[in-house]
Amino acid sequence: MLTQQLVDALLIGGVYAAVGVGFSLIYGVMNIINLAHGSLIMMGAYTTYQMFVSFQLNPFLSIPLAMVIWFVIGYALQRFVLNRVIATGVLMSMILTYGVELILLNVALLLWGADYRTINLPYSNASLSWDGLAIPVLHLAAFGAGLALTALLYLYLTRTRMGRAIQATALNREAARMVGVRVDHVYGVTYGLAAALAAAAGSLLAAVYTITPGMENDYLGKAFVIAVLGGLGNVWGAIVGGLVLALAEGLGVATLGPSYQLATGFFIFVLVLVIRPHGLVGKRFYAEL
Amino acid sequence: MLPLLAAALIVLPFVASGYWVRLATDVFLFAILAESVNLISGYAGYAALGNVVFLGTGAYATGTLMVDLHLPFLVGLAAAGLVSAAYAALLGLPILRLRGHYFVMGTIGIDLLTREVVYNLGFTGGGQGLNMPIAPWSPPALYAVFYFAMLAVLAACVLCTFYVERSRLGFGLRAIRADEEAATVVGIPTTAYKVTAWVLSAFFTGLAGGLYAYWQTYVDPGVVFDIVTSVQFFVMMMLGGMGTLWGPLIGACVIEVLGQLIWGQFPTVHYLVLGLLIVAIVLGLPRGIVAWISERGQRRATA
Repeated sequence: MLTQQLVDALLIGGVYAAVGVGFSLIYGVMNIINLAHGSLIMMGAYTTYQMFVSFQLNPFLSIPLAMVIWFVIGYALQRFVLNRVIATGVLMSMILTYGVELILLNVALLLWGADYRTINLPYSNASLSWDGLAIPVLHLAAFGAGLALTALLYLYLTRTRMGRAIQATALNREAARMVGVRVDHVYGVTYGLAAALAAAAGSLLAAVYTITPGMENDYLGKAFVIAVLGGLGNVWGAIVGGLVLALAEGLGVATLGPSYQLATGFFIFVLVLVIRPHGLVGKRFYAEL
Repeated sequence: MLPLLAAALIVLPFVASGYWVRLATDVFLFAILAESVNLISGYAGYAALGNVVFLGTGAYATGTLMVDLHLPFLVGLAAAGLVSAAYAALLGLPILRLRGHYFVMGTIGIDLLTREVVYNLGFTGGGQGLNMPIAPWSPPALYAVFYFAMLAVLAACVLCTFYVERSRLGFGLRAIRADEEAATVVGIPTTAYKVTAWVLSAFFTGLAGGLYAYWQTYVDPGVVFDIVTSVQFFVMMMLGGMGTLWGPLIGACVIEVLGQLIWGQFPTVHYLVLGLLIVAIVLGLPRGIVAWISERGQRRATA
């Protein structure tokens, strides 16, 4: 019984990795606390929901589409709005992203209302059984997709020219500029990538859970927890953070009850922040404390 | 100028309609919240974005004492300030060690955690919230009472900030904001100063929470711990001017009056208007109204 609960909890951990990684990337590269992250996840979820309603597009197939759309929006947001205040201090950019969060939330409320929405697939309730455990197919697919996308982002950052430019800018903006990196553009791409990953995470959530505009708040909180658990700015860490949060939530629910799911997450968040602010995996990747 | 303003504020509830009295009380509430967060964020430079946690703590201190223990309102109100201050003192040591963004996220985490705990406790009413006892006054008298009570707490908060600004503590806090290492080196007890500033901030925020609970006659955990509220009064402080005495009050006045007048008309675009307002403020007046006015004044003087 407990094993089943923990398996169910762990499966969502793959999606959590994708939920947290964009938040962590933006912080690591640009030193911005992106308070709009929850609403980007929510918008990704609704983009996929709308594709399903209008064109009966399978949510897993609409992931690339949602990612492209939100990459472009994210790029534009950073390039034309956030870049203007990034030099005036960390508070300004953080508050600005909260303005964006509220705008996106209101847009979602106007377009889709406050109701709960679900994507019903023919295999929504199908599950594999293994050693007495039931493993829901949809959750397993979402788990794999979340981990794969996070790993792809890591490969992109380490193996491509643009990815290296992003890392260089994170380490030293001025030095990067001197060797010919277009910092404005790099920042735009960074935010775009983070928004695309957030949208992908949202699409996966739309595939496995009911969605509502109010989800932005919960997932912003979760992104905080995942990113801090894994170490802010650490892309691999997001996978660790995602899995740890999912397991901790599962344990909290199993021992204290379903209403303690969020409380468990926030508790370990505060604990890790106080005891080990640079995260569970140790080494700082980009960010400085 | 100041006595004139004071006289106008005292006369207002006797001449204005209930709507304006309520709006003014609302402005006072946000002015207290903005001026309180100014103590720790404006002067010491520690961005306590989760400061709304003390509004909730205060509201629940008053609420639970009145509902569960049937104590009188004034006892509940005193508890609101004291419990919030004690909570800040307790949190201060671990949380105020964190710098920069880690502190910001720590305070938000504390707020979310506290909200979740309140949701799960029996005596707080959980997700249903708390229904407060009805105050034994007629509506106009009720509005006037809360108007003056809120105004009194605001006046105390401004007075406290005024003295802090001129005291050793105020100089110490500004030194911490400028360079914490340097402040430690010259012998400023940085930890004690930061905790003191946060405790004062929590005390006034908690009092506002206690008043808010009885004024609204209902405490909703989703509302009193809402990060949106926190960001709202943070933006008010920034718009007015961080680390200035009058800035947060001006900011609260401008945003709350503007906001109420606008979303009174268009309730469905409440968040949109607030969001656009935030974007406009950050892009247009990044250093606040007070700095903008004094810069203009200087330019005129030199011209």
